[in-house]
Amino acid sequence: MENLKIKATRYTPEISFNAETNVLELKGECYPENIAEFSDPLFSWLEEYLSVLGNQAVIVNVDLNYFNSSTSKMLLNFFDRLEAEVANGKNISVNWIYEPENDSAEEYGEEFQEDLESLSFNLVTKEE
Amino acid sequence: MQLENLYYFKTELDTEGILFSFSGPLSQKLLLEMGDTLRNKLTLEKATPSLTLKVFSMLVEQTQNIIHYSAEKRTPFHSKEAVSEGIIVVGYENGRYYVLCGNRIYNERVNRITNQLTKLQKMDKDELKDYYKEQRRKGPYADSQGAGLGFIEMARRSATPIEFNFQKVDDRFSFFSLKTSV
Repeated sequence: MENLKIKATRYTPEISFNAETNVLELKGECYPENIAEFSDPLFSWLEEYLSVLGNQAVIVNVDLNYFNSSTSKMLLNFFDRLEAEVANGKNISVNWIYEPENDSAEEYGEEFQEDLESLSFNLVTKEE
Repeated sequence: MQLENLYYFKTELDTEGILFSFSGPLSQKLLLEMGDTLRNKLTLEKATPSLTLKVFSMLVEQTQNIIHYSAEKRTPFHSKEAVSEGIIVVGYENGRYYVLCGNRIYNERVNRITNQLTKLQKMDKDELKDYYKEQRRKGPYADSQGAGLGFIEMARRSATPIEFNFQKVDDRFSFFSLKTSV
């Protein structure tokens, strides 16, 4: 299947979902006025990807310096969807990447971690 | 406005510690520019990156709240970007940055917003966190255009309890204002 590549804008992150390497990345800031408009293509791609995915290890790197409250809801839906696949035996882990001085990003990461059970969710600080 | 009065108007804003204000049609595009300028300004004032992001975050949530919910929201026929009337203010007082926003809303929405915000005012940080997570799990309200989490997010991140007020304009509208600080 095709990879999903979307360039960053000033208010949406760079998306690089690679079906060959099984690395899915979101990087940048996310505060669009209408989150569904941005996230619908991501979820469509994800559904197709999950339907053909075998037992390869999948790495999801989330490196969002800032996101608004409607993006937070979208991210939870995204992680929930991945967690459902883990329950089906898929091997998926998420790296929540943040700058060490960004205490808000760390706190958001911890809260997602608390809300997820079987999905492996790692907090990773960037090198100084 | 008389030309000579502009100086007094500006002096009044400076006296209140206001470092940034905008009144008029707000849009996502304008938010991007305001946000960048505010971040640069705060960096010049030697605010830490973490504090700068927190003030910026309040600016985004409050401006998008106006964009979504102002009763004076219109979309020109040649564009898909809405223009919503409101006012947004960022200032500094008592060692903290504050963000104020205001816009007209329809009178029939006053009660619901009052109940919602009064409930948030009574919660401590732990209760706000639990409520935030609970609401994030639920779907948004039918008339909500974001995730319906904006007010809870503001209340959680504010260093002082969220303040709000309604002033009746006429039979149709009230002016809604809200203040948070970081």
